[in-house]
Amino acid sequence: MNLMDTKPVTAADYASDQEVRWCPGCGDYAILKVVKNVLAEIARPRDEVVFVSGIGCAARFPYYLSTYGFHTIHGRAAAVATGVKLANPGLDVWVIGGDGDFMSIGGNHTLHALRRNVDLNMLLFNNAIYGLTKGQSSPTSPIGTRSPTTPNGSVEQPVNALAFALGAGAKFVARGADTLQTHLPTVLKRAHENKGASFVEILQNCIVYADGAFGAINDRSESHNATIRLEHGQPMIFGKEEDKGLVWNEKAQEFRAVALADTPEQQLAVHDETNIQRAFALARLEQPDFPVALGVLYASDAPEYAHARGFTAKRKPFDREALKSLL
Amino acid sequence: MTYAVNEACIRCKHTDCVEVCPVDCFYEGENMLVIHPDECIDCGVCEPECPEEAILADTEPDAEKWVELNRKYADIWPNITERKDPPPDVAEWSGKPDKMDYISSEPAAL
Repeated sequence: MNLMDTKPVTAADYASDQEVRWCPGCGDYAILKVVKNVLAEIARPRDEVVFVSGIGCAARFPYYLSTYGFHTIHGRAAAVATGVKLANPGLDVWVIGGDGDFMSIGGNHTLHALRRNVDLNMLLFNNAIYGLTKGQSSPTSPIGTRSPTTPNGSVEQPVNALAFALGAGAKFVARGADTLQTHLPTVLKRAHENKGASFVEILQNCIVYADGAFGAINDRSESHNATIRLEHGQPMIFGKEEDKGLVWNEKAQEFRAVALADTPEQQLAVHDETNIQRAFALARLEQPDFPVALGVLYASDAPEYAHARGFTAKRKPFDREALKSLL
Repeated sequence: MTYAVNEACIRCKHTDCVEVCPVDCFYEGENMLVIHPDECIDCGVCEPECPEEAILADTEPDAEKWVELNRKYADIWPNITERKDPPPDVAEWSGKPDKMDYISSEPAAL
């Protein structure tokens, strides 16, 4: 297939001819579907899009797309993607990895890609377990997770991926969930629009080794009670009946969950995605006392890496004819 | 890139599939279920759950007509997200071939 012949317009155009091999019911299918739809909406030609992955179930992602792809080594996807982007800034580069890839063996690369603010769309598929190697506890597994490596239950405090990203200096931090098929595309589109490293944690259910790890968050019927969908400039309201909200306590620098019946709307916090202190607080909201924050927690317009280093101006645009002459 | 329900489901709504679907994309008619092709994420978890083997992938031969039938009714039937008991006469209809003559276009009674 010649990637340069046609301009794709539908999600199906971004599907490869490979048989998708994840376990039946895996949340990765839901993410793949959303990504294909988002790619079709962005409508970049397939030869200008690259998906770079490390190792793990999530890392199979590039095989299932008709874009360019690079299945690299464990944890190194962000490093390879940085090279791809700097060598050819005209490409749209996505990085795919799981909690092992991004938060464990590749934690350092995640940190540096974020602090450099390279223009990458980094999607962390967080399923809170090592799925590909059959179910060992991961850096995001909750305390008490029983697994072959933690037979008496994990005693280690899990990493909060978004707080980590903010701490590393990320300029765009967001969260979505696999089965929220109308919400997740809005998050991915914002991540793609952002120029710089866009870090998106996608809560993804592993149906085999950590089924239900995120409880009601990615259960479509219950999700609104377990999550808050953030929108810049809007009051923080949540609940299936839109009957709950968050109030910001300035003195304690923390949120408090309230019932709207007891609280006038003007007292509710209004989401300001440029406020990093609140972004930290939002990243750490956890069930059952708080709704888990979904959407764009933090976005700043800091210059991305290539721009800051003046790379973009020095690079020649992609020469399609030159490539064709080689084929 | 979807799964679809075929005629084997007619008058044999076991609804085991509904319980496992991660995106709740089943819709219920009077005597059959269908999958919404735009909502299905192609994960395949429902397929082995069906005692009637009524769920097929759209890559199988002949699947296209079932996908179209599923699409047509998914738009007009109500969403079903919880398992319910099969009809009392399910044993009588289970495994019978050519059940399309018995399909009801009516939505499930709520």
